[in-house]
Amino acid sequence: MLESGDRIPILKLGHLLLVTIQVDMHDRMALALQDDLTKKIVDTGARGVLIDISGLELVDSFIGRMLSDIAAMARVLDARTVVVGMRPAVAITLVELGLALPGVQTALTVERGMALLPAPGEFGGDARPEDEGPDA
Amino acid sequence: MRALTPEPHALDSDEDVVRARHVIRALAVDAGLRLIDQTKLVTAVSELARNTVIHGGGGRMLAEVLENGTRTGVCVTFEDEGPGIPDLEMALSQGFTTGEGLGLGFGGARRLVHDFDVTSAPGEGTRVRIVTWR
Amino acid sequence: MKLWEGVVALPLIGTLDSARTQVVMESLLERIVETDSTIAIIDITGVPTVDTLVAQHLLKTVAAARLMGADCIVSGIRPQIAQTIVHLGLDLSEVTTKANLSEAVVVALDRTGFQITRRANRG
Repeated sequence: MLESGDRIPILKLGHLLLVTIQVDMHDRMALALQDDLTKKIVDTGARGVLIDISGLELVDSFIGRMLSDIAAMARVLDARTVVVGMRPAVAITLVELGLALPGVQTALTVERGMALLPAPGEFGGDARPEDEGPDA
Repeated sequence: MRALTPEPHALDSDEDVVRARHVIRALAVDAGLRLIDQTKLVTAVSELARNTVIHGGGGRMLAEVLENGTRTGVCVTFEDEGPGIPDLEMALSQGFTTGEGLGLGFGGARRLVHDFDVTSAPGEGTRVRIVTWR
Repeated sequence: MKLWEGVVALPLIGTLDSARTQVVMESLLERIVETDSTIAIIDITGVPTVDTLVAQHLLKTVAAARLMGADCIVSGIRPQIAQTIVHLGLDLSEVTTKANLSEAVVVALDRTGFQITRRANRG
């Protein structure tokens, strides 16, 4: 069983949930994060999830699948997920691995990620054209 | 942390997989690998260490820096006494699948390193040896 | 080089070898992060030919940039290189290509929300 100190914190930022994944996340922590996020999306009615992986020095198949699963679960709960801050070395490795992170939208920074997740009721949100990521 | 004979690192739990990443990252930095090669190697190690824990029923990792005259590299070996890989050919050729299965990460890990050797058979355990050269 | 907010350009010149291409491409990805650029223009007008490895590095870099949240536009592809790419069976469907650098710049301007207007008096 995971101790509370081992769980990754989830911050509520308006209509968004922000998760900052530090390094050293082991598999059980990743599964706990999925659980916690799903619960929190339901509890808060959040419409957007921002996952900051700028602290991750590696993303392997397990973590990659976790990100895709989170995006899929969030979608079922009518929330969109954006993953931000992927490091170049991680991106290159994922390409070599052939892992495409299906269903996961990405942005360079938290700021750009937030522009992709407008609050409900705002058509298109506050996103200025130059803030839109490639998938917008 | 560079021993003349590689010290074994236990691979029996999730935390061991994380520890393995750190050990190899440190070794890779020591050996002077470029950041991208370090990242690829450590990612491969993460995949293979996890395989050892989950599919091999636990095992060990041995790591060392190789200096073969002209080249320097990091060599990592994964060993377990588990059930072995039933269809090695298929496991190696597979990319990623969405289900469970040994193919997950195995074929991918191979693409991340320079040398990749695996010995395995049902009932005989598994031994995987990888090398990334500088 | 940074062209303006959110756009970097990488003009490549000369014959590329696999090792140099790899290093250059990795630097480009770092630049994208440093300058917070959502668009990178890779101009290969000055590159006469590419071999398999170089073409693959190029495509992997474009894919990696995409994964990070940035788009690449490849401009200045010479006929010979276009042929190589087709013969190698490489999939360019995810890559925006433009015949020359100025067309790529126009696309980048448009995507980042700018447009060029001529001043009323040019004197």
